[in-house]
Amino acid sequence: MIWEVFRQEKTGEYHTHCGNVHAPDREMAKMFAQIQHGRRKPTNSLWVVPQEEVGEVDTEEARFGGTTDKSYRWAMTYQGVDADFAEEVAESQQEQEAAERQRGDD
Amino acid sequence: MDVDEVNERAGPREFGPHDDLPREYREAATRMIQFHANSEIMGAYLEKPFIRQAPSLDRKLALSAKVQDEIGHGQLLYRAAESLGVKTRDEMLTELAEGEGKFLNCFHYEMDEWWETPMIAFFVDGAAMRRQATLKRTSWEPYAHAMDKICFEEGFHVKHGEDIMKELATGSKKEREKLQEAFDEWWPRIIQFFGPTDDQSTHHDFAADVGLKTMTNDDLRNAFIDAYVPKAKKYGLEIPDEPRIRERDDGTYEVVEDDLDWSEFFAIAKNDYDPGKEQIGGRRRAQEAVEWVREALDDHETRTRGREPQAAD
Repeated sequence: MIWEVFRQEKTGEYHTHCGNVHAPDREMAKMFAQIQHGRRKPTNSLWVVPQEEVGEVDTEEARFGGTTDKSYRWAMTYQGVDADFAEEVAESQQEQEAAERQRGDD
Repeated sequence: MDVDEVNERAGPREFGPHDDLPREYREAATRMIQFHANSEIMGAYLEKPFIRQAPSLDRKLALSAKVQDEIGHGQLLYRAAESLGVKTRDEMLTELAEGEGKFLNCFHYEMDEWWETPMIAFFVDGAAMRRQATLKRTSWEPYAHAMDKICFEEGFHVKHGEDIMKELATGSKKEREKLQEAFDEWWPRIIQFFGPTDDQSTHHDFAADVGLKTMTNDDLRNAFIDAYVPKAKKYGLEIPDEPRIRERDDGTYEVVEDDLDWSEFFAIAKNDYDPGKEQIGGRRRAQEAVEWVREALDDHETRTRGREPQAAD
């Protein structure tokens, strides 16, 4: 039985998919996940999920957005003005930058 | 849970739909979140005409993205309000259409010209964002959760608003003059965004005690003036003489309340101001015009109930 593994690096962050393990039950899956996915990278928590429980929708069934250049909807685009004059604006931009980096990892 | 226990436990993201909360809390939270949701929707309707009036394709794209975001924020917030069990989303949208739903003072005014847009897109959005950042720590968890997504998106809105202002402030003489005129007109309304000073605020005490509000009107107004007055000056805008704003020794500001038109403000607060009634009517007509879409969706849902996935939160 295949279990998909999701790793969270730090408290409060998202669990992101990092691979899978073969195990007969949940307890074994958690143990294998620790050994295979929790040893070499900073890890705060792991989730294991039976692969058949994962729902998927792909490009055969759906038309996703994300193919157009939408840089106009990101704070980083407006380089002529600074975000640092107000901490909440700076924070929003940092979150957007982090999200963009994460997308870049895919 | 009674009100005393709520006061005792009150803290960031402390309460959620599984808690048995007293009516006073649920009603106060509903009033606050419904106001916020209504404001997102009414703000979007005020800016919508500028998608057409925007001077370039880039501006059109950015503005339509922004208007779309604001409508989405409204939906997120109605959901957070609905989860308190006091009013349904339909009830709140009907109240807004019928002129009973309350919303932000600034969205009761007309906005006709492109050079007015930074007044909403930079100053009002900036003021709203200041307030919203503090609401990430509100005690109603679904509200705080909605704030995470909203604050994530708002950085683009505020920077885009400043970008428009910069373009006008460095543009032709006419553009600079029109920008100043718009600022003169909007500045007192923007200062009133934060309401009257704390000793006159009607709902603050309870909302603060139960952790719904985490900062007072006065503190928020101070933080806004600190960050946004230097910005206005940077773009060559003259701060209007009224309302008089004096800096105190401790670095906070005193706004001379008598310099502001509070009878207009309180008429607006009752939805009893003519331009605001126009805005409400405009949105109601839009809601009625797409009635057939809602009917088709409801009809589809009724016919396929139980066989298709329901919309997620």
